[in-house]
Amino acid sequence: MPAETHVERSPIGPDDVFRMIRERLAEILEIEEDRITLDSDFTDDLDADSLALIELVEALEEELGERTVGFSIDDEDLGDLHTVRDAVDYVMHRLNRTM
Amino acid sequence: MPITIAVDAMGGDRAPDEIVAGAIEAADDLGVRVLLVGLEEAITPLLPASTSAVELVPTTEVVAMHDPPASVRTKKDSSIVVTAELVRDGKADAMASAGNTGAAMAAALLRMGRIKGAARPAIAVPIPVPGHAPQILVDGGATVDCTAEWVRQFAVMGREYARIHLKVDEPRIGLLSNGEEAGKGDDLRKAVYPMLTSLPGFVGNVEGRDFMNDTVDVIVTDGFTGNVALKTVEGAIRGTARLVFDTLMSTPELQAASEAVMPALLEAADTLNPDSEGGCVLLGVDGICVIAHGSSNARAMKNSVRRAKECVEAQVVDRMKGAVADAG
Repeated sequence: MPAETHVERSPIGPDDVFRMIRERLAEILEIEEDRITLDSDFTDDLDADSLALIELVEALEEELGERTVGFSIDDEDLGDLHTVRDAVDYVMHRLNRTM
Repeated sequence: MPITIAVDAMGGDRAPDEIVAGAIEAADDLGVRVLLVGLEEAITPLLPASTSAVELVPTTEVVAMHDPPASVRTKKDSSIVVTAELVRDGKADAMASAGNTGAAMAAALLRMGRIKGAARPAIAVPIPVPGHAPQILVDGGATVDCTAEWVRQFAVMGREYARIHLKVDEPRIGLLSNGEEAGKGDDLRKAVYPMLTSLPGFVGNVEGRDFMNDTVDVIVTDGFTGNVALKTVEGAIRGTARLVFDTLMSTPELQAASEAVMPALLEAADTLNPDSEGGCVLLGVDGICVIAHGSSNARAMKNSVRRAKECVEAQVVDRMKGAVADAG
């Protein structure tokens, strides 16, 4: 594992990603974290519009990019992410691909 | 140190020529320093031989008018993104763009961040009122799908912005609906109404006919109906002006008679020209962003820079933060 691709070595699991998404999303939407569950639908349950999702993506890229160089989220994939669980699974998939 | 305004020189249907011309005029006449952001090869030929108040900030990309707002993520060296970054980094006090509205909003939001307590941004649009100060329409189209809480926040920010822009202590605030009675409106209006009753200055529902009339100072609504109403008002103004001028030109007798009234009519018509107001302020972001209409000419851009300067002087962002915090 090349050092320059990993600033921090602790592995990131789905629980960490969920926590990260929940924290960031609560901040962006100005809602209580408790309202956000894995099954929350971005649109129907959280009123998250496309701009909010872009904010989320930018925040995740910034945070995860510090730990995993090269981590990025493809905008074209955003349309397929309907629930928080979709986002967690997607991020884990991208992280595994990057590592 | 003069106030520094970053101008997206590539944004707008008439960019860069008209935008650069307006920015140079602003630097000459308003005592501001202007950072012109965009493609060096397009801007340099438009710059005067020597000027110290205008500076080029070269970028390599442009967000086109038809690009989606998300393009600010992929075009990181675009003029619109770099313009917002100059404000974020403290190199400019405010930004102005006549480019893609969605992209300008996204760039401002992502680079400057949001004010705590303002979940979504809103555009404050001055609507001309003949014989009176303008009204402020909030939201003119920044956030199309809104929750009731977001519209309440727009009302709070619109009220504070009206206090600054219109210089009135207690602006009258109306919620745009399809009837004046409290129970009128769709689910969103009915949910917002009770949330506004404790807001100082709230007078209840207003209707489309209250636009351009001295009934309220602030008209609050979601970005979808706000934008539809704005374009309807613009279309009605244009149609009415055409009717008047076509009628005056329709016969030789009327043409002769119009010579006496034409100068006054043209002067009056200019007060309805959006170019005379310049751009609209994006409320809710943690920095000053003035969004001008896509067809802005040099005059409109100069007035947009003027608006940005006024916002800096009035400390609009701090005022918004205070208002939103106080309103809970």
